[in-house]
Amino acid sequence: MDRRTFVKRTCIGSAGLFLGGLPALAGDEVALPQPPPIHVHETHSEKQSPLRMPGLYPGRVVEIADARVIVRNRVSQATVHEMLEHAIRELTGESSPLAAWAKFIQPADIVGIKINPSGAPACYSSPELVREIVSAVQSVGVPARNIIVFDRFGYEMDLGSCQLLVQPGVRVVGVQDSKLDTSGYDGNVYCEAVFFGEWETRSYMASIVSSGVDKIINVPTMKDHSASGVTGCLKNLAYGSFNNVARSHKQPYSFTNPLIGVMCSVEPLRSKAVLNIMDGMRMVWHGGPLTQNPDFIYPAGILLLSTDPVAMDSIELEAIDTKRRERGAPSVRVHDPTSLTTNQHEFYTDASKNLYYRQPGHIAAAGKLGLGVADVKQIDHRKLQLT
Amino acid sequence: METMKTDYAAGGAAPQGDWVTLLKDNTRTGGFGAPSLPSPAAARWQSRVGSSIRGAPVLGQGALYATTTGGDLHAVNTDNGRTRWQFHAGGAIHSTPALHGENVLFGCDDGKVYCVKAVSGEKTWEFKTDGEVWASPVAREDAIFFGSADAHMYSLEAASGKLRWKQTLGGRIYATAYAAEKQIYIGCGDGHMHSLNSASGKILWSTATENGIDSSPALVGDTVLFGSEDFFLYALDAGTGAVRWKYETGLGIASSPAVQGDLAVVGSKDGNLYALEVATGKLRWKTGVGEVVTAPPVFGDSIIYIQSWGLLALESATGKVLWRAALGAGVQSAPVISGRTIFLASNGGELYALE
Repeated sequence: MDRRTFVKRTCIGSAGLFLGGLPALAGDEVALPQPPPIHVHETHSEKQSPLRMPGLYPGRVVEIADARVIVRNRVSQATVHEMLEHAIRELTGESSPLAAWAKFIQPADIVGIKINPSGAPACYSSPELVREIVSAVQSVGVPARNIIVFDRFGYEMDLGSCQLLVQPGVRVVGVQDSKLDTSGYDGNVYCEAVFFGEWETRSYMASIVSSGVDKIINVPTMKDHSASGVTGCLKNLAYGSFNNVARSHKQPYSFTNPLIGVMCSVEPLRSKAVLNIMDGMRMVWHGGPLTQNPDFIYPAGILLLSTDPVAMDSIELEAIDTKRRERGAPSVRVHDPTSLTTNQHEFYTDASKNLYYRQPGHIAAAGKLGLGVADVKQIDHRKLQLT
Repeated sequence: METMKTDYAAGGAAPQGDWVTLLKDNTRTGGFGAPSLPSPAAARWQSRVGSSIRGAPVLGQGALYATTTGGDLHAVNTDNGRTRWQFHAGGAIHSTPALHGENVLFGCDDGKVYCVKAVSGEKTWEFKTDGEVWASPVAREDAIFFGSADAHMYSLEAASGKLRWKQTLGGRIYATAYAAEKQIYIGCGDGHMHSLNSASGKILWSTATENGIDSSPALVGDTVLFGSEDFFLYALDAGTGAVRWKYETGLGIASSPAVQGDLAVVGSKDGNLYALEVATGKLRWKTGVGEVVTAPPVFGDSIIYIQSWGLLALESATGKVLWRAALGAGVQSAPVISGRTIFLASNGGELYALE
């Protein structure tokens, strides 16, 4: 295998993992199937990057809020600019935004900005935020042609007009245009497992991740997810970088735990994803990731910044479960057979219903793999309020 | 071999039955005059032409022309759905093709606009820009107009592909231009609607909206209509760019408006189709047709057709949904209507002839 390694990641089920700050459940209400072993075929790293997950600031999460950032469901470009500048300085301790960005990006880098267009147009990585990130990366000295905004699905980016709304010169790439298109994936980097007896047992890493970019700035959204519990940094990187991932769910079960964490641990993804900027300006607290129902989209008006995807997702999980409690919806941690439905309409209109037994334990599992801090008591959660 | 008529190239209506560019012809009639068809009973044929189809097909001389994200332009026989020829370009294609004289024009993600012979697929010329071209090239008389993601608007000589002029604008261009006799109207990713002198490319006026413009404009008398990602449908004075009225929808508007008489119909990403009076912007009706609408509507005599993960037909006077066909799973494409046949393209790379 020369410069590749073939390893089996420790299989970590949800049972027994630390669940974070909310009261732990007495136990699963139902017996869930145990996940199978996942084999990883990855690039061998001669030298590990100091920026690799959990990055320069393990356990530190900066949350910045500004009530002006969402007005009548529109994002204020000027306010996003201000929020991002404050937050990046707080994260790094640098006095200038330029010095802060230079901690992560060098002028010679080819920089990928991994957005999450699932759920567009109602809730996706806001073009206003993406534009600010592009400008910041350019300020370090990276030319526009070396900045690539990308996701797996071009048609989802179309729905958000993502291509139109970024600066000229920046490349916008959808890795695949149809479900069966595998041309944009690297045959040498993959995760292999059999979850439900499927024939296609491999999930390949996108070539743009394995060899197309030097650094990745991850721009997830803040959402409930019917299978994984929440979709944040980890899921946006994992299921947004590997193909053939929907096979990890089969109603009512999901093996997003531990597949998400395992995928994020695969090199070179782990080393390249140097910064996470979560778009929490709109928060989907039910119906994620695709809902267009405004009843379940809350204008939270926040951004979260961290190099530690596990810590950030742990904070996200708290926030979404808190919002669900406020609205009388069950926790995403609950595995209650009576909450299940196979009726999509019911799921998209009733917050007490879900399609799967959600697996928010994937965050703690990623922590066990060394990707970050999952215990909210150990997280340095810094809250800033602009107005 | 018979050649195509060119009388529509001056900006008028296309020959009966032909559908030569986005929304039928350069007047953007959206098919007005096409028969109002009942719910299709069956697909006369279905043809898979490869990967996803994002642009709308066009029709001329018994062939349907469709582009794919796999990088191919297909000429398909309308009688049986068989491919007559296919032309492979240098990148994915999102552009709706346009027929002009004996040629088919389309833009490509490799930054080029290609001109190929409609009868054979043989390349006549190509022109390179520095960004992908998703817009449909618009032909008027001897000139071609299109915008590129490189933030420039271009005009070429139709016969040779030689540059006539090039104008720098402030953002990426994905919308298709409207070419009037002396003015070009084009929306831009920086949120501005521009009017350019069609002979020189000089900017005559620019009007700002609050977000990018993905919607291709329509010209009705002296009013320019278009949607913006700032959620509004705008009506501007075509001579000055002054805002006459604007109407707020629930999300951004990428759909291009279609106009029939005094009625403008446009889809919004909020999932609704809106019908407004052109003169005043007063809402006549609003109908939910899906979760997201980004395709342009198409007019029949008394029916409006819209693709939103399927094909819907609405009564144009009231907005009442008359029928739905669960085919044509596209949200960017638009149907082509010819006689009693509806041609559809889907995100899954299928073409359908429905009757």
